[in-house]
Amino acid sequence: MSGQIRILSVEVEDAPNTLTKISGAIRRRGFHVRGISVGPSREPGRFRLTLQVDHGHAEADQVRKQLERLVEVLEVTDLTGDEVHSRELVVAKVSASELEALLRRGAKVISTAADGTTVEFSGERDEVGAFVDELALHGIVDVARSGPVVMRRTQ
Amino acid sequence: MILEALEREGVEYIFGYPGGANLPLYQHLPEHPKLKHILVRHEQGAAHMADGYARASGRPGVVFATSGPGALNLVTGLCTAYMDSVPMVAITGQVPSTVVGRDAFQESDVIGATSSVTKHSYLVTRIDQLPRVIHEAFHIATTGRPGPVLVDICRDVQQADAERVTPERLAIPGYRLNGHVDLEGARQAAEALAGAERPVILAGHGVILSHAEHQLQELAEAAAAPTGTTLLGIGAFPVKHPLSLHMTGFMGTGWNLKAVQNADVLMMVGMRVDDRVTAKLAGFAPKVKTFIHVDIDGSEMGKNVRPQIELVADAKQAMAAMLPHIGELNPGRAAWLTQIDAWREEHPLRFKRSNGRLQPQDVLIDMYRRARSEAIVVADVGQNQIWAALWWNYDRPGLFINSGGAGTMGYALPAALGAKFARPDVPVWCVAGEGGFVMTAQELSVAVEHQLDVKIVLLNNFSLGMVRQFQDDFYGGVRSQVELTHMPDFVKLSEAYGMPATRVERFEDIAPAFDAAERTKGPFLIDFRIDPEANVYPIVPIGKTLNEFWEAPES
Ligand SMILES: Cc1ncc(C[n+]2csc(CCOP(=O)(O)OP(=O)(O)O)c2C)c(N)n1
Repeated sequence: MSGQIRILSVEVEDAPNTLTKISGAIRRRGFHVRGISVGPSREPGRFRLTLQVDHGHAEADQVRKQLERLVEVLEVTDLTGDEVHSRELVVAKVSASELEALLRRGAKVISTAADGTTVEFSGERDEVGAFVDELALHGIVDVARSGPVVMRRTQ
Repeated sequence: MILEALEREGVEYIFGYPGGANLPLYQHLPEHPKLKHILVRHEQGAAHMADGYARASGRPGVVFATSGPGALNLVTGLCTAYMDSVPMVAITGQVPSTVVGRDAFQESDVIGATSSVTKHSYLVTRIDQLPRVIHEAFHIATTGRPGPVLVDICRDVQQADAERVTPERLAIPGYRLNGHVDLEGARQAAEALAGAERPVILAGHGVILSHAEHQLQELAEAAAAPTGTTLLGIGAFPVKHPLSLHMTGFMGTGWNLKAVQNADVLMMVGMRVDDRVTAKLAGFAPKVKTFIHVDIDGSEMGKNVRPQIELVADAKQAMAAMLPHIGELNPGRAAWLTQIDAWREEHPLRFKRSNGRLQPQDVLIDMYRRARSEAIVVADVGQNQIWAALWWNYDRPGLFINSGGAGTMGYALPAALGAKFARPDVPVWCVAGEGGFVMTAQELSVAVEHQLDVKIVLLNNFSLGMVRQFQDDFYGGVRSQVELTHMPDFVKLSEAYGMPATRVERFEDIAPAFDAAERTKGPFLIDFRIDPEANVYPIVPIGKTLNEFWEAPES
């Protein structure tokens, strides 16, 4: 399954139709989004998307090519298989009594309140996955998880 | 401001329909006599007319429609143009920017509804965006791989006043044009083609769009490579050329399919290699060692067939770059050409005349005889389309127009009218089945109003012929909902619109009817009552490989 996933860093125009166009192209070609994160890029008027896309039965490189056809897309970098830094973020609220194990795993406390303690944890996809599994054992009050943010390692 | 921008882009015709959300445009239209507006009878007709105009002239077709139902009526026409890479700019009215998103009267998300059938689209909510957007729209529609661009303009913007600015130089950073040819790739492609024992070239619409027919013929001759075309590529290579394989695909000629299935090098130029070309993909061209794919759109590489050599470039430039590298040919070439000639003999195009009914092929043979490689022929969709394609006998490109990618019934009449607006000097024939014809027949008004000299060849088989044939051949012979009863009397219908028409039921009457059509100035319809059992052959059964084509029974 993971062989089907492309990791793409996509620089796009900050236009009203950009996300619709990208998700439309992905849907129409039979691809499937497994992870997405969006944030402003360094250039004003531009955003950077990190996409994890399952390319289904199409050739792997079709994802990049189909995205490049969109006028709103300025640049697509395929990071699949590259040495990258990849981070996902999870924010969770748990009861204070359950905190210990999570802190041992590297979670940080953001806030404490009567109905629970809110912690954050970031790491690679697998680490975050394992952290979420751990959370499940400790009675989660609430949890939210981000898509990936990926950057190529510099040699 | 919009109309001025259109004048600046050199627009001659606008095909459109007014309504609440584009009234400001229509208010000012009379002040621009250089922009000739054709009032259609349905917005789909406007889109197809613009499409026919664009294919016949090489210039972008321009469409106006109002918001909501008006714009949504364009969708089929936009899709037709998108699938066949036809340059078009559709300008739709949108509700005022202040009420967008509030489900205002006749509001619809036109950008959302058309995103997947346009090359690009814009929603214009501020007047200062307009000059740039219109200029970009024309640029994007006409360059690279052409296609339709939609500009949705809020009504308040159409009315707004602003300083007249001529758009600065274009800056569309996300719009990439594939320019230069990879010369090393071109050399490799040429060597593969020359060195092949059994080469075949297939040419698509891209060859016609890039005006690459001379390069194609030179390349085919230099490499002694048998050359066929797709349905949309018809005309890119002279049908009577000794190297011609005529049309490929699941309704292609037998000798073409034999050649493709036995080739060792297959070069595909300006085409998408879709399922109508490959039939069962796993069994497509199984002996090919080297696929060469030339297309201006890089995403076509490996979309359906993985090429060993890919050239992402304009077809004309790519083939021109290949030509000097065609060296010595493989000594097996003579045997290959002899083999092709034998297949041509063994699998000719043929049809049966035994039952005494009027055969569509006889009609088309007479039509093409009169057309003498000069007339534009616009075909609809269905059996009529394939007959018109297979009995095509021209030596020139750009004169066969049809909806190949989308297969839109109802395309032919409005597209033929658009083609006639574009090329008033050239005879235009419209070939249609009666099913598709009635889908847009209301555009006969436009033909009569403008006295457009378009001759309509109605191949009337009293049924949805192509579907009937599929049911007979591939769906257990169950004829379900394909009989077209209660159709109008087409001669009376034409007369009701104010144009002459005649009916033909016998072979002997074909020529006199065509004579009458040719004598008449202005539109003319001939209702050919053809054999309702006539079929399209060859045909590859659904899910089978190209090898397994069925042929017409020998007469
Ligand atoms: C808008 C649309 N609806 C349905 C079809 C499916 N379809 C393809 S060919 C065909 C039959 C066409 O019948 P007719 O126009 O009479 O032409 P013939 O095949 O008889 O020449 C149909 C229904 C289509 N291509 N387009």
